[in-house]
Amino acid sequence: MTILGEFALWISLPFALWGMVLGYAGGRTQRGDLVLSAERSVYAVFFLHAIAAAGVMAAFLGDRFEYWYVASYSNAELEFFYKVTGLWAGQRGSLLFWALILGFFSSLCVFQNRKKHREFMPYVAAVLQTILLFFIVVLLFAEVNPFERLGFTAVNGRGLNPQLQNYWMVIHPPTLYLGFTAFTIPFAFAIAALLNGRLDARWIQLTRRWILTSWLFLSVGIVFGMRWAYEELGWGGYWFWDPVENASLLPWLTATAFLHSIQIQETRGMLKVWNMSLVLLTFLLTIFATFLTRSGIIESVHSFSEEPKIMIIFLSFMSAVFAGCAILILYRLPQLRSENQIESFVSRESAFLFNNVLLLGAAFSVLFGTMFPLITELITGQEISVGPPFFQRVNFPIGLALLALAGIGPVIAWRRATKRNLQKNFSTPVIVGLVVAAALWVSGAHHPLALTTWGISAFVVTVIATEFWKGTRARSRIEGEGYIPALFHLVSRNRRRWGGYIVHVAIVMVFMAFAGAAYNVDERFHVEPGDVVEVDSPMGHTYTLTYEGLSTARQNGLRNLLWQAIATVSVEKEGRSVGVLTTEKRQYTTQDPGSPPMTEVGIRSTFGEDLYLILSAVDDAGAVLAGDSNAQGIDLQVLVKPLVNWIWLGCLTLVGGAIIALWPSVDRKRVGTGESADPAAEGAVVGAAPPAGALPPAGAVG
Amino acid sequence: MTLYLGVALIVAAVLLFILQPVVKGLHASLEREDDELTETEARKRIALLSLRDVEYDFLAGKLDEQDYRSLKSELTAEALAALEADEAARAMRGHPEDQDIEAEIARIRSGLRSGLVCDECGFSNEHGSRFCSSCGEALADRALG
Amino acid sequence: MKKNGRFMVGLVGVATVVTYLIWTGVSETMVYYLTPVELMQRVEVDPTFHQVGVKVSGQVIPGSYQRQDGELLHLFQVRDLVDASITFPVEFRDALPDTFTDQVEVVLEGRLREDGVFEANTLLTKCASRYEASQEELAG
Repeated sequence: MTILGEFALWISLPFALWGMVLGYAGGRTQRGDLVLSAERSVYAVFFLHAIAAAGVMAAFLGDRFEYWYVASYSNAELEFFYKVTGLWAGQRGSLLFWALILGFFSSLCVFQNRKKHREFMPYVAAVLQTILLFFIVVLLFAEVNPFERLGFTAVNGRGLNPQLQNYWMVIHPPTLYLGFTAFTIPFAFAIAALLNGRLDARWIQLTRRWILTSWLFLSVGIVFGMRWAYEELGWGGYWFWDPVENASLLPWLTATAFLHSIQIQETRGMLKVWNMSLVLLTFLLTIFATFLTRSGIIESVHSFSEEPKIMIIFLSFMSAVFAGCAILILYRLPQLRSENQIESFVSRESAFLFNNVLLLGAAFSVLFGTMFPLITELITGQEISVGPPFFQRVNFPIGLALLALAGIGPVIAWRRATKRNLQKNFSTPVIVGLVVAAALWVSGAHHPLALTTWGISAFVVTVIATEFWKGTRARSRIEGEGYIPALFHLVSRNRRRWGGYIVHVAIVMVFMAFAGAAYNVDERFHVEPGDVVEVDSPMGHTYTLTYEGLSTARQNGLRNLLWQAIATVSVEKEGRSVGVLTTEKRQYTTQDPGSPPMTEVGIRSTFGEDLYLILSAVDDAGAVLAGDSNAQGIDLQVLVKPLVNWIWLGCLTLVGGAIIALWPSVDRKRVGTGESADPAAEGAVVGAAPPAGALPPAGAVG
Repeated sequence: MTLYLGVALIVAAVLLFILQPVVKGLHASLEREDDELTETEARKRIALLSLRDVEYDFLAGKLDEQDYRSLKSELTAEALAALEADEAARAMRGHPEDQDIEAEIARIRSGLRSGLVCDECGFSNEHGSRFCSSCGEALADRALG
Repeated sequence: MKKNGRFMVGLVGVATVVTYLIWTGVSETMVYYLTPVELMQRVEVDPTFHQVGVKVSGQVIPGSYQRQDGELLHLFQVRDLVDASITFPVEFRDALPDTFTDQVEVVLEGRLREDGVFEANTLLTKCASRYEASQEELAG
């Protein structure tokens, strides 16, 4: 099976090339037979990559240690689950996995559109095959072939690093990859639009769901990574501004800008050049992210002098794509002119434009900070780096401005907002924001950044809650429905808008959690069994922790474990027992001898905070394992992390909002804007005929 | 041996699948399908939706009267222009199956043009309005709908 | 057109603020990123460099790791990735990341003290999923 998979990968090369050439040719010459052949090649390449991926999986499951990749990331004792998912444990397999997912989405897109949007599809297929071709070439010729043989058969593999044997770490790469690759579809349609000249909002409307789906997977993928870091890295932190994290954040930022900016093009025919540039930029950043994540160019000092082959290939590809698209955009510049102007500094169009600029600014600063060592090395020969303080300094203000915009955008008027309009819609939320900040100050929270964040959060929530309230009330009056059916129909008639509002609330929740970190508690103790320590939570209560003792277990290689030392701590909150937490040290067989054991933390989660215990050190592991019950002293680190669970809750809310926005509506005529399209609604627009008596007399409205 | 057979089979199958269109002259359709929206239709739809949004915003209390009135007359003018542009485009294409759509458009347009005239200020309001868009006075009660 | 002017001012303003933030951010948080060889050279040439915070990348020498019992203190030796003869001892007083192994590649932030010991404030290790085994390792 594995050899078959290897062949399949080689065979996919000419077919991808064929699809690329015929797609462009068919589009130019308008020959349906060429186009059909190109579309079929998309299915074929996916089929072949599925065989290749199955081949890799078979190698893992069959313990085929003559393959470098299998020997590096697996061993005979590895759990079944991790053998199956070994496909994306390392760089080589990940690239094949990427190609597989891209092939899946490409096939889905081609199949969905086999009778639709025909003026785009030839070029879409061609672009998709071009990108797939690139990945195939990298896999086969850049020394990253997952089927590479060792030349001998290793007795056993190295095994998978225990840190990667964690649920989150297994689903985090695929989720991110789903996000990255899904974005290729809108990119392909954008190129198709540039090639065929249909530069209105059409290409946006038909890829809207792809864009939102991709954004959803990216968001969730990033949060999964944060959760993994939080649980597994043992420090209680979830974001370190590490180059790999930054690389996945970059396309998310530009995709968010793009997601908002396209609304302007759809309703007002503006920002066309922005949108083309944003989709191109996001695509390039997804390629950049996958290449940065899986190669090591940022960590190593003087990385340019090392010049791995893969780096050159990726950079060449990205440059070629950038140059090609830039030329296309310049060529089409006349047709990308805005149909309308921005009329006022204070308007929704303007808010969206500021949104774009701020998100791009954040993306630029993150990119700059991440690449800074390489840039300084190029210029001065000396590497200079910047760390988390830099990223925080620059991005905190930008983040707060964006948070405020999340509340301003939904309600500020189109075209131009009059003073009255601003007063009407913003006075209450602003007051609420100030009141909340003041109330928090009075109750003892004095951290300026946190207070600002929470104040703005209250502002945004008020705006959105008011929107829901006013909309429901209006609909209830007009249609004569009760409030609950009114709310349901309100959301259902315009899922994109209200789903989007829910996503904004989710973002607020996440920002609130970030601000909570200003009040993190971190205390360290040395304790013997029976010792009791107290830790105060910023929420006002006190935890009383009793260290019960250390139990050990020798595992002798089960699940690659040598031994475990488990510390048990009983927890009381304000005197009331709330349970028991454990935190452990584990030594794995796969660790290099002499390496310190790994830590598993103990977490107790509530809405308000996490109580996070870390067994930093065992006084004398050897003695404890030998059964000496007097040697149970440990170093215990206790963290209290206020509001941290609002990140995960916010993520769930974000998923809910996105699903609402994505939910298909039944259209009589295909609209693509997600709006209900039946003409009866149109009649209602102009001849708005509310039930008699439902309209309040003028002046009493609002 | 079976491996090579397997590979050969797969290659042959894929080749056949991909080359068949070119060899046998099978064509993928390249024409725009009928029920897709044209540019003018899309603009018209957006203009009408904006009008609807303005009505709802006003009724929800997000817009005060002055803003509502001025925005509404602006959007109405745009909607009219969009409707006319679309109708012109349609006439050029000659779409017979759009008859009921034509009727609907005619109804909307007549509603826009000949509407209710306000007793107070003489402003020509749209069909179905209850309050004058210009001066705000209640229009004379009519049977609605 | 006047309105457009105000608008451009706003955009340029935002861009300026962001640039300013980046500029000051860089100048206030930037840190030299050196190899152990370069660090040793710098310190010889300029003794005040002992006070400067730097970032150093190297590899932990197998067998050199010790934990000080009774206190949160980790001790190990780090060698240059290219010239293995250049080494220095490291003191680290925080929790070790789980990715730390006997021969891991590390990035340290801190300073090289006059007594030749590197006092590390932060310690980062190369990400587990990217560590690629060599042929020799796999042969066992």
